[in-house]
Amino acid sequence: MNRAARQDSGETMNERAATAEMPPTGAGPAGLRTIAVDLDDTLNDFSATLRDGRFPFDEGYALPGETFSRYLERVRGGEPEAGHLLSTEYSFFRYKIHARCYQLAHAREDGVEFMQWLRRNQWRIVICTHRDLRRANDLTRTWLAENGIPFDHLFTALNKIVFCKAWGIAHLVDDDGFNIAHGGNYGVNVYYPVMEKHRSLQPHAARPFQSFEEVKRWIQE
Amino acid sequence: MDPRVGLLREFSRGFTPGTAKIETEQFGFAFLEQLLADGVRLEYGELTATRLLHKYKLVDIPERRMDEFLQAHIDRGCNVCRYFDARENDVFCFNLDNNHKTENTVVIPEMELAVQALRSCLQDLGFEPLIVASGRGYHVWCRTEAPVANDRLSAFMLRAAVRALMAFHGSGRDHQQIKFNFYPDVKTINVVSLRLFGSVHAKTKVFSHVLGPEGLLGEDASWRAFEHFVRNRAISLALFEQALDALPVAP
Repeated sequence: MNRAARQDSGETMNERAATAEMPPTGAGPAGLRTIAVDLDDTLNDFSATLRDGRFPFDEGYALPGETFSRYLERVRGGEPEAGHLLSTEYSFFRYKIHARCYQLAHAREDGVEFMQWLRRNQWRIVICTHRDLRRANDLTRTWLAENGIPFDHLFTALNKIVFCKAWGIAHLVDDDGFNIAHGGNYGVNVYYPVMEKHRSLQPHAARPFQSFEEVKRWIQE
Repeated sequence: MDPRVGLLREFSRGFTPGTAKIETEQFGFAFLEQLLADGVRLEYGELTATRLLHKYKLVDIPERRMDEFLQAHIDRGCNVCRYFDARENDVFCFNLDNNHKTENTVVIPEMELAVQALRSCLQDLGFEPLIVASGRGYHVWCRTEAPVANDRLSAFMLRAAVRALMAFHGSGRDHQQIKFNFYPDVKTINVVSLRLFGSVHAKTKVFSHVLGPEGLLGEDASWRAFEHFVRNRAISLALFEQALDALPVAP
């Protein structure tokens, strides 16, 4: 391993906290343009699928029907595991429903076209997601292939701003409020699809878009 | 070649060839290019919540590169995690983790109770496991003289875990404070990997010490215990079958 390339800040990084000191960039060869693109609610309609999708009960869930219905309501409501334990019956169920949404969600047509345009124009494309790729790698790759979405690398990062800064990625397309709020402070240009949940955001430097055509223009400025 | 690379190779002989997860604080596209030399492919990468620790699931790793990774693992340049074979394996492992969201590197009383109960259960069956401190708990490794089908290994581990958890009955302790995972697990094969012995925990930076009967061994003694385990502690297939039959079927 190349120890010279080691980048150890020695600081503990809270997954949701913006960091005061950002790591040096690891952009690699100059001139290659790189963009990071999120999946859920950016390239697909994850939230709508979770809200409106059909998740029939079956014995594979290993739950009584009543518990299944109660848990499903909680998952649809966006409720995380509230207790102090990492792994519970509910957290396992929640992942299974989310994984089903990853498969069922529809790709945005303009998003697919945008990704193909990036490929045609020699952008390096990093899919950057919150998904647990340990479990969701195969079905994520399948969904991307089925929808004709090209990419170079697949990464999961809890803090995408730190990821983009560390890897020298100047552009991030993502719906998450945290990234919208903090990207500008760290030199990461964030573009986000307008959604109802963004109404309450404080002033920020990120740019909202209705169509990926707008992003296409902005990243060439 | 460092003799410890040979030991790790011997221990790893049944794992999925050419596949590993590398944990390191190195990152960036220049580093990734080095990582992916010689035809290695990246399945996915991860930036964890621990400092700048990254994980890379790699496939198509040539043997020479795997040896380099193992050497780096020994030199603390990275941790190498390996994936179990999808059909049969000659090692299996109980992974006992602290199940708390926070402060989960603390050894809680429930963990002590579980690991000692599991050690006793395995010793009663004639097995001598290698127990390694994993950061959030312990990895309890066993090794057989030849590969055993995964469904047999899973059946054995489930029964042994149930037997060990019986120690909680009447103890006033809650077994849900810890999490038992089995490797290989037919439901998560190709999904989960385990750090090899000799790793350094990502959060605590603590070496993966072997837990002896009297407590944790030092680093050199841990390597000697690992060597003894690899060289001398393979369970015969006859003993494995006998042990499986001796444990009651889990509900």
